[in-house]
Amino acid sequence: MRPVLFALLLLAFLGQRLPAQEYEGKMLVTASLIADTTAIVPGKPFRVGVLLEMAPKWHTYWQYSGDAGIPTSIEWKLPEGWGVGPIEWPLPEAILEPGDIQVYAYGDKVMLIQQIQPPAEIIESNINLEANVSWLVCEEICIPGKATVSRMLPVAGHAEPDNAAIFEEWTAKLPSMDPPPFDVTWQREGDSWVGTVEAPAGTEAVEFFPLPAEGEVIGHPKISGSAKDGFTIRISAPGDLRGVLAIKDANGERGWWVTPSPPSTSLWQALLFGFLGGIILNLMPCVLPVISLKVFGFVRQAGQSPRTILLHGLAFTAGIFVWFLGLGLVIVAIRAAGGQATWAFQFQNPWFNIAIATIVFVFALNLFGVFEIALPGRATNALAQAGGHEGYSGSFFQGVFATLLATPCTGPFLGASLGYAFAQPAPVTLALFACIAAGMALPYLLLSAQPGWVKYLPKPGLWMERLKQFMGFPLLAALLWLLYIIGAQRGSEAVIWVGAFLLTVGVACWIFGIVSPPVVPARSRVVGLTLSVLLLVGGGWLFLGDLLAKSRPASVQQASGGIPWEPYSKAAVDTLLAEGKPVFIDFTADWCLTCKYNERTAIDVPAVREKIQELGIVPVKADWTNSNPEITEALKQFGRVGVPFYVIYPAGRPNEPIILPELLTESLVLSKLSEAR
Amino acid sequence: MRIPNFFLALLVTTSLLHAAPEIGKPAPDFTLKDGTGKEHSLSDYAGKTVVLEWFNEGCPFVKKHYGSRNMQDLQKAATDSGVVWLTIISSAPGKQGHYTPEQAVAKYEELGMASTALLLDESGEVGRAYNARTTPEMFVIDSKGTLVYMGAIDDKPTPDPASLDGAKNYVQAALTELAAGEPVSTPQTKSYGCGVKY
Repeated sequence: MRPVLFALLLLAFLGQRLPAQEYEGKMLVTASLIADTTAIVPGKPFRVGVLLEMAPKWHTYWQYSGDAGIPTSIEWKLPEGWGVGPIEWPLPEAILEPGDIQVYAYGDKVMLIQQIQPPAEIIESNINLEANVSWLVCEEICIPGKATVSRMLPVAGHAEPDNAAIFEEWTAKLPSMDPPPFDVTWQREGDSWVGTVEAPAGTEAVEFFPLPAEGEVIGHPKISGSAKDGFTIRISAPGDLRGVLAIKDANGERGWWVTPSPPSTSLWQALLFGFLGGIILNLMPCVLPVISLKVFGFVRQAGQSPRTILLHGLAFTAGIFVWFLGLGLVIVAIRAAGGQATWAFQFQNPWFNIAIATIVFVFALNLFGVFEIALPGRATNALAQAGGHEGYSGSFFQGVFATLLATPCTGPFLGASLGYAFAQPAPVTLALFACIAAGMALPYLLLSAQPGWVKYLPKPGLWMERLKQFMGFPLLAALLWLLYIIGAQRGSEAVIWVGAFLLTVGVACWIFGIVSPPVVPARSRVVGLTLSVLLLVGGGWLFLGDLLAKSRPASVQQASGGIPWEPYSKAAVDTLLAEGKPVFIDFTADWCLTCKYNERTAIDVPAVREKIQELGIVPVKADWTNSNPEITEALKQFGRVGVPFYVIYPAGRPNEPIILPELLTESLVLSKLSEAR
Repeated sequence: MRIPNFFLALLVTTSLLHAAPEIGKPAPDFTLKDGTGKEHSLSDYAGKTVVLEWFNEGCPFVKKHYGSRNMQDLQKAATDSGVVWLTIISSAPGKQGHYTPEQAVAKYEELGMASTALLLDESGEVGRAYNARTTPEMFVIDSKGTLVYMGAIDDKPTPDPASLDGAKNYVQAALTELAAGEPVSTPQTKSYGCGVKY
């Protein structure tokens, strides 16, 4: 009996014993493994957590350990065909040790979560999940430790959630992949990133946990400020940096992954284009004659006093600003009502593209002179009346109405600006419209300051009509691009049916152009308008509703036969990474011109093709041309909302992805690919 | 409130800039005693290449390099070719790795060190002047007194001795390049190890 009892006791003891690290008779770290499921369902991913419990005052490290220490690592021993995702690290604690040594670590306990992707077929009835965990644990001194953790799970067709509470507790501590729900703006100052955080009310503290590229030497984040004045993060770093921005309030601490980047240069370009567009508006046939008239008007009203002339010019300018800023506010309001949809995302919807193509085409016809848009007579009368007012209020309303009168010509320009403005936050939208207003107001202001310059104005004439017609061609070029996207989404057949629909739209516009002038008898106009509407409805129903709807969506193309792209799926990528393979992912879409440009000049070129083959890098194409939630999610993980986006996972180091810039060169791609080995 | 804060930040930043050693700039001079009480100043070794090594016997990362004799071999090769190698302990009294002068003399023998001297910096003053944060952490100063390398000893940030096989030793590379009259190709890396026990 005795040996049996002993064996039983031993078994019970072994069953309870956890893999642990002892030091001078003290338990420093205890490691255990739990899963969020009661059983493994073939093909269905589940999560596991390695729970490390540290002795008081001892700590293990975050994925970037800081000035000292090393991150905990987990090496899985799973059967062939199983995949493991990267470690998801909860928010660490920033600890500043004597001597200005900054580390990012976990005291007390931490659970490191990973996703496991089982294969679609499993023959075994039980699977032992096993991993070697190694860590460095430090208090005053540092001691490396390791343990093998394992858990046996049955294989079944159905499973219940397990350990829900503890997974929920630790998932809540994971930094979010979404952008933070408050404004953070980054600026490059010397060799530092400086972030201004408009933290929500009630924020007690802001923290930043940097994650530099491997081997890169960075400084310590310095945080200053308060909830009232806003917080400022300053960190010296030679290059790009990712990091977790965390805020602490009464409810605890939450974090978001952020990638410091300065306000995009495209914003300044957009503002510049807005300004230039505003100036060009003055050359449009509906506007140019107004300029000299107005300026002569100022001069007449003001007698000879230059100061009064200038004040009239300013009042007129104010009118222009009020009109455009009002338009900007309308856009902001529409967007606020419409939620957070991103603009680029809309191009994934072929119907959206068809609508835009139609609008662009109609605008082009308008510029070619196929038809004119006449404003209601009331508006014209109001302008005349406002002009009749004496004083500065008269000039102000003239500014408003001159812009309103110009609307038929400004439409195509505003269309482009509106498109950009829709995707931007409110201050940017308003700034853009202010730039257009400034551009448009510029000649009036200059002329009211220097009335003598009127003689330099180009004389109205036939050239204005020619210019207007010419502006139609850039719009047709934009139409070609839209048709290319529609073709990529729905196949070449779809392009033909959209083209046929546009043809009926064109005829309808032409008829409208014939019957719309006031001299046309009312009866003819009714007939013409009816015909136009019938054409539109008929064309829409036949070509879009019937023929286009029946056309087959474009299948995945492998046209550019150079690189053997594999289509993106999270499971496939996780499996490749778990096998320690280097992976290059190209997040792209056919409607993204930058993506296409990069692919043709820097990716699908012989040298890169050879490099990929030579280094055994698996090329994966994440095609976002049509909406794909899995790819959206993957982009989000890197804090991106759009394409292009390029990431290289180095061989055996899936936690250290190399992120490429948006605009690529061949030599840059080659050098980054070399880093993957 | 904002303006004084700004100036304070500026002051702190500039003072830090002065404190931090920089590649291509003169290395801060210092004077420290070894276990026998002999003083060593950086300026004593003008005209020679100098290696500074931050040391803490109890640190597992240091143990990796001493247990395998990797560090001693490197010290031997360097001093044999005329390089001055100063091993520095910045651990405060009572903290891990701190030696009394007698211990320093005994440990130098016991560990079979081959550096020019084992120096005691228990106030941490020299460690802070060099912004040394880990053990091991390495600095290479050329014969003109210019700092030409700072950072890790090699490219394998782990305490596992097996990692020495195939590791790229940055100090060895820097010394080879200096001897050949070439510029140091990797002048700065992120050091790894335990924190210095100031």
